This record gives sequence, C-alpha cells and structure tokens, in this order.
Amino acid sequence: MGKKITIDPMTRIEGHLKIEVEIEDGKVKNAWSSGTMARGFEALLLGKDPRDASYVTSRFCGVCYSVHQICSARALDAAFGANVPWGGNLIRNLVMGAEYIYDHLIHFYQLSALDYIDIMAVANYTGKDRDLLAVKDKIVGLVKANDTFPLTPRYKPDEFSVKDPDMVISAVSHYIKALKMNAKARNMGAIWGGRTPHYQNIVVGGVTSYPDINQVARFRTMLDEQKKFVEEVYIPDVLAFGTGPLWPLAKMGVGGGHYNYLAYGDFPKDQKGKNLVFPAGVIIGLNPANIKVDPFNPDDITEAVKYSWYRENKPVHPYKGEQVFDLDKKDAYSFVKAPRYKNNAMEVGPMARMIVAKNPTLLDLVSKGAKPGAVARHAARAIETKLIVDACYTWLDELLTEMTKPGFRIHDTEHWDPPESGMGSGFHEAPRGALGHWVKVKNKKIDNYQCVVPSTWNASPRCENGVRGQYEESLIGAPVPDPENPINVVRIIRSFDPCLACAIHIIDPNTNEIRKFMIE
Amino acid sequence: MKEEEVLSDKLLDRLEIQGINRRDFLKYCAVTAAVLGLSELEFTTRVAQAIEATSKKPAVIWLEGQDCAGCTISFTGILNPPAASIILDKISLRYHETAMVASGKLSEDVYHETIKQGGYVLIIEGSIPSADDRFCMVGGRPFREMVEEAAKKAAAIIAVGACATYGGIPAATPSKGIGLNKALPGKTVINLPTCPVHPDHLAGTILYFLTTGKVPQLDKIGRPVMYYRETIHDNCRRRAHFDAGRFLKDWNDPEQKDWCMFEKGCKGPVTIADCPVRRWNDGINFCIDCGGVCMGCAEPGFYADMSPLYTAESETSRKIWAMREAGLFKKEI
Repeated sequence: MGKKITIDPMTRIEGHLKIEVEIEDGKVKNAWSSGTMARGFEALLLGKDPRDASYVTSRFCGVCYSVHQICSARALDAAFGANVPWGGNLIRNLVMGAEYIYDHLIHFYQLSALDYIDIMAVANYTGKDRDLLAVKDKIVGLVKANDTFPLTPRYKPDEFSVKDPDMVISAVSHYIKALKMNAKARNMGAIWGGRTPHYQNIVVGGVTSYPDINQVARFRTMLDEQKKFVEEVYIPDVLAFGTGPLWPLAKMGVGGGHYNYLAYGDFPKDQKGKNLVFPAGVIIGLNPANIKVDPFNPDDITEAVKYSWYRENKPVHPYKGEQVFDLDKKDAYSFVKAPRYKNNAMEVGPMARMIVAKNPTLLDLVSKGAKPGAVARHAARAIETKLIVDACYTWLDELLTEMTKPGFRIHDTEHWDPPESGMGSGFHEAPRGALGHWVKVKNKKIDNYQCVVPSTWNASPRCENGVRGQYEESLIGAPVPDPENPINVVRIIRSFDPCLACAIHIIDPNTNEIRKFMIE
Repeated sequence: MKEEEVLSDKLLDRLEIQGINRRDFLKYCAVTAAVLGLSELEFTTRVAQAIEATSKKPAVIWLEGQDCAGCTISFTGILNPPAASIILDKISLRYHETAMVASGKLSEDVYHETIKQGGYVLIIEGSIPSADDRFCMVGGRPFREMVEEAAKKAAAIIAVGACATYGGIPAATPSKGIGLNKALPGKTVINLPTCPVHPDHLAGTILYFLTTGKVPQLDKIGRPVMYYRETIHDNCRRRAHFDAGRFLKDWNDPEQKDWCMFEKGCKGPVTIADCPVRRWNDGINFCIDCGGVCMGCAEPGFYADMSPLYTAESETSRKIWAMREAGLFKKEI
C-alpha cells in the first residue's frame, strides 16, 4: 500500500470537502472524495408551499447563486403547468448569463489561478509599467511586513508553476482587476435580479421584474465592459497559460478521468426551447478523432447509494429517490450519492458542454495535443464565457423587440397558485454543470423534492459496480512527487470548480479523529 | 557573532514574545529570501525590523459552518472601498476557507497559531447544527467546537447572514441549525443578519471596530442600530399603495408595477433593515424594486415564520394584516 494523504479542508471551493489519495511511486494510485457538511434542505421542503422551493434551494449555494432558483422554478413550471412567456425567459437568460460571467471569472482568477503561479515572482519584475509596479510594491510590501495572509502559506510552487515575472505580475494584476469585474457582473444581474447573491426575481411562471428601456441600456453598457475584459484579458490569459508554461500539464492530460461527458443543454434561443446555446448530449468514452454524441434522456439517470450513508436501496431514478440516513452502513464512505447515466460515471460542466457542442476552439486545442483534463477544463470555461457574452447581446435585442409589442408578458399569472397535484422536472446547465430538480406536488404541498447537482455527478463516490466518481478517477495517475506538497491534487480538484454545499448531505461519522493533511 | 547577527537575534527574541514562532519564522524567511534573491540573514533582519516598525494589521478568522458562502461572495462584491483593499491592506485574513491559498494542514496550522495568539476579530458565517455535531465537520472535528474555541480569545465576534445570527433556513431542517445567539449564550455578538449579509454592513462594522476599538451600538437582538433602525416598510416607495390598499396581483400589468407586494407575501412591515435606503449591489437595486418581495431575512423568525413565502398566509403576514387593521402603521407627523 502506498502513502495515504488527506487534504481537509480543501479550500477555495464552495463547501466542505475532504480528499484522500493513496500515492505510490510518485503518482496517485487511488482516491476518495467526501463532503463534510449537511443541512437537509430537501427534508425541509416536504409539506411546504411549492413556491417556497425556488427561494429556499437558491440557498444551496451562494457562489453559484440562483442556479437552483431557476432550476427549481423550471421544475415547478412543469408541475404547475405554467408556460413562461418569452419575455420572462429572456430575462431569466440574461440574469443567469450575468451569473455565468461572474462565476467563471471568480473561479479562474480568485479560486484557481494561485495554484499555477509562483506569486512571489512579482518581486523579480523589472519592467516599467506603473500599474504593474504598484502590484509589485503591494506584494513586496506585504512580504516585508511579514503579513502575506491569505496569500500564504501555500503549497510550494513546482516544475509546472509559472515563474516568469512578467507573466506572474500581469496575472496578479488581473486577479485584482477580476475581483472588480466579477462584482460588476453581479451588479449587471441585479438590474433585474434585485440583488446578489441570490436573485429575488425568478419565480414559478416567469420573473417578477417588469423591465424598462433604461435597464436594457444599462445592462448593455455594463455588458460591453465585461465583453472587453473577457476578450482582451480572460481568454488571452487562459490561452497564454494553457498553451505556454502549462502546455506540458495540458499534453499529459492531468485530471482526465473517465472521458464520459453529459450535458442537459440550456439557454433557449426561442420560445419552444428547441434551439439552445449549449446543446444537450451524452458521450461515453470520448474518441477525440471521431466524437459521437448520443441524445440525452432524463429517464436514464439513476442514483446509487452502495457506498453512501443512506439506507440500502437499489439504484433508482431521482423521482423515486429517498433520504434515509444509515450512519453505520458497512463500506460506505460518503454522503454524496452516486448518480450514473446508463451505469456510467459522468463528467458535467464546461468541458463536458464544449465537447458535446463540438466547440471548434476547444477541439483545435485538442487536435494540437491537449488532452481533456485540468488545463482543458479552464480553457472550456473561458470559451463558453465568450459564448454567453455574445448570447446576452442577442437576448437584449430580443427583449427590446418583445417589450415594445402590445400585451408584453413576463409571467404566467394564471398558473401562480399551486395545483392540487402534479409533478415536474427542471434542468439547468449551471456554470459547474448539469443540474436537475424533481418535484412532486400533492394537496398543493411538496410531496417529494430531489436534486441531482453538478458536484454530485463529479464528486460522487463509487457506485454498486465499484466504478469511481469523476473526481476520484481524474486523480488516478496524477504526479505527486512530493507527498508533502500535493499541488497537482488540488489543481485537478479545483479545475472542476467544486461546489459541495449542495452535493453533500452529512459527514462520515466514523472518522471523527483530527483529519489533517497527514502521512499514514 | 557579528553585529548584524546579534541584532537579528535580539529581534527574534522580541518577536517570540509577540507570539511569533522563531523556527517557523526563520523557515519562512529562508524560502522567501531565496525567492527575493537576498541573503537569508539580511532578509530576516529586514523583515524583523519591519514587523517592529509597522503596526500590525488586526488578525481576522472567518469560519464557515452550515453556510452557502453567499455572505463571503456578497462581501467580495463591495467596490468602494474595494474588497481587495480591505482584505490586503486593512486586515490580516488568517483563515477563510473560500479565500485562503493554503489547504489542509497548512490552513489548520495558521488557524491554531492565530487562536493561540488571541485578540483577533472572529467572523462566523453559517449556522451550527444542534441536532448532531456530525452535520458539520471541518478539518475532522465539529464546527461547534471550533466556534466555541475561537470565541474564547476573540476581541470581537461578528455573525454574518441569517444562518449565523439566528439560524436562518437551516433552523427549519432536520440538522436544526442554530445561530450564535444560541450557540454562544452570554457573549457579545454583533449580528448582521439578512440573507446574505449586506457588504456595507460588514465592511462598515469592521472599519468601525478598527477605528474605535469598540463594538457599535446594538439593538436588543444584537444588530448595529446604524444599519437596523427602521422597518423596510417605513422607507418603502410602495408604502402609499399599502396604505391605500392597492396590492399587486399581476406582474405583467405596468399599471400595478409599483403597487404594494403584500399579497405576494411581503414581510417588509415587520422587517428592520436599511435595504430600501442603502439598496444592494452598489445601489443598483434591492428585492422590492425588482418586483420581488421582502422575505424578512433580517429577522430572527426567518425562514420558519415567513413561510409560505409567496402568499399572505404566513403567521407573519396575518400579524401584519392585523396591525394594519388596528391602524398601527399610520405614520405620525
């Protein structure tokens, strides 16, 4: 048996995550991921007015805020028989578009970039750019004052870390600028969303925010600024890093995993919702030379609980899911369930979406030798940010046209009151990946509520067939030459943009000992 | 021993008195000196002098329990002053799971070191499960223990968001989340409810404490009166429609666009916070102005007493109606 190391807490993610890996000959041989916090929102919802669900489930996560709000509203739309007017869908698209831009920026710059650069290299900057010199002064000043929190302590930069002073200092200056830009993207969403995190305007049947022409103009002006940053800073940064110093990591395909991809598809381009910005589809066992995408069928989703702390049950569709804890279950090690698509563990998220969409920019990188993995995940995220920015312009134009038509509507008021009974599912491509909510209504109250969230797909434990989840599989073979410095492990996990609050239900009750990053 | 070495040695003694571990400090200096291309001794001496010379930024520990990180995200949205300047220039953010670079043992070590020193500002986000500790574990131990331990030597304690203050939504779940009002009985806690915390409320409270060294004046349930003084209703621009009985029924009707949201479940009449005046997202909007309703997230009864959220059928809504009938909302001139 190799050396086993545990990273707990796994930071710069949403939620509480513990990663354990077994290392042999400098490589990850086996891996386990588990979450350590639970609230039990689904149980709370039972017996409640169904309309509460979109408000409550939004609070699953405040980083990817409102993704559950819209997903829940869509499930309720289906259960209530509501038909969201196109105006309502356009505003839903626009506020979620703003959320995407914020979310991908904060993930790349604030949550991930520091894993790839040696921030102290800014001290070696010899250029004359005044803004960059100010950044240098700031960091060197922190070092001199011996107070570089929260930038240190850190894992030691390794062979893949970017140490070129010019690249690092520009990345650090973009880190600071991105903080402002992602805050501004949130403000853009608040024009109709009310405030962030957690919009206030998405409800069953549509939205509550009746738009005016000044808001459209304001959104557009703010979008211009985001577009400029995405095109001139974010995408060039990702490409410069990915095809430059990180190219060896990209070519090795570190963090690849199962090569199975799932996208539910999202962002309707028309009222019927047939044309989507991100198409739906399934890929089992990617062959980059000949990408075969199968249609997505929601009926093929099951959730296994063999290694999860729930009462033993055979894999079932989410409509039939239950949440009865069994804390003493043998062999269980996580309270994340194990969702599978036709028995396959799947990856969801930006890379899955861009591969399913056969995005030419991503496929070009792949044809040049980048294997789908941690670096490609960052590239896919940047590529789709641009697609969303472009789509927002189209939606703004359409909203203007719609608004000026007589009888313009944003909400299906006729279906506002809960039905006696009904059931419905709602899907959303959240920034982190495919998200689904399933609701059953009985006597005008919630009778069952189940969610399968992106991080449940990605962070799942093994299923009854012993197949590892995507985080676990993607860690296998990752180089960890120094077990005290498992920087590649955190790079891989963070490339998925983990968001655990919604994926996790409870902690492994048998491992209450202090779980430090320890070598056993 | 050369003069320089003696000086360095003396400084290190003094640092140790200040609670800075000599061995860790030297190890840190060795690594950093190499990066900066300085001799180790030269660097160590310079840094030690700098610590002597500059006033130390106050240490901040930010713990996340049963949370969604929404309060963290909300705080980072502040533009003036920028969140980055508060985090890097005003405070020394020692532990924050969503922000810190360190993971695992590295992060836990900083936490324990800071706890040992004491005198930090403690910020808590998220509730504490009261049904069973195992609903929230961090670094392998109950979050409850961390909160109790960290509270002992804190210079000030700030609870951010509905969950950490009074329990919020998790209070209504099987994990029975509780806020600091119940988890730390008898302790002075600055409560900044709303779901999520308003970034101004948190930035202002921190800056107030850093400037005066004091806790701002609090109301009966621990909220700073500078932010929590009047009801949403008292400052709501839809107020006149409430008094006149014009309630919005259809979001599609431009005529009703600005009418009172009471029938859609608004709890503004009994919710104390400055949202209508301060607004959110750099003043761009707030819940009621996007046609949404106030869900009462600044009040201890949130969420249980506010549900059902989107109708006037909750206990809270009934109470509001009764107060209206009794003429209790009439403004005194």
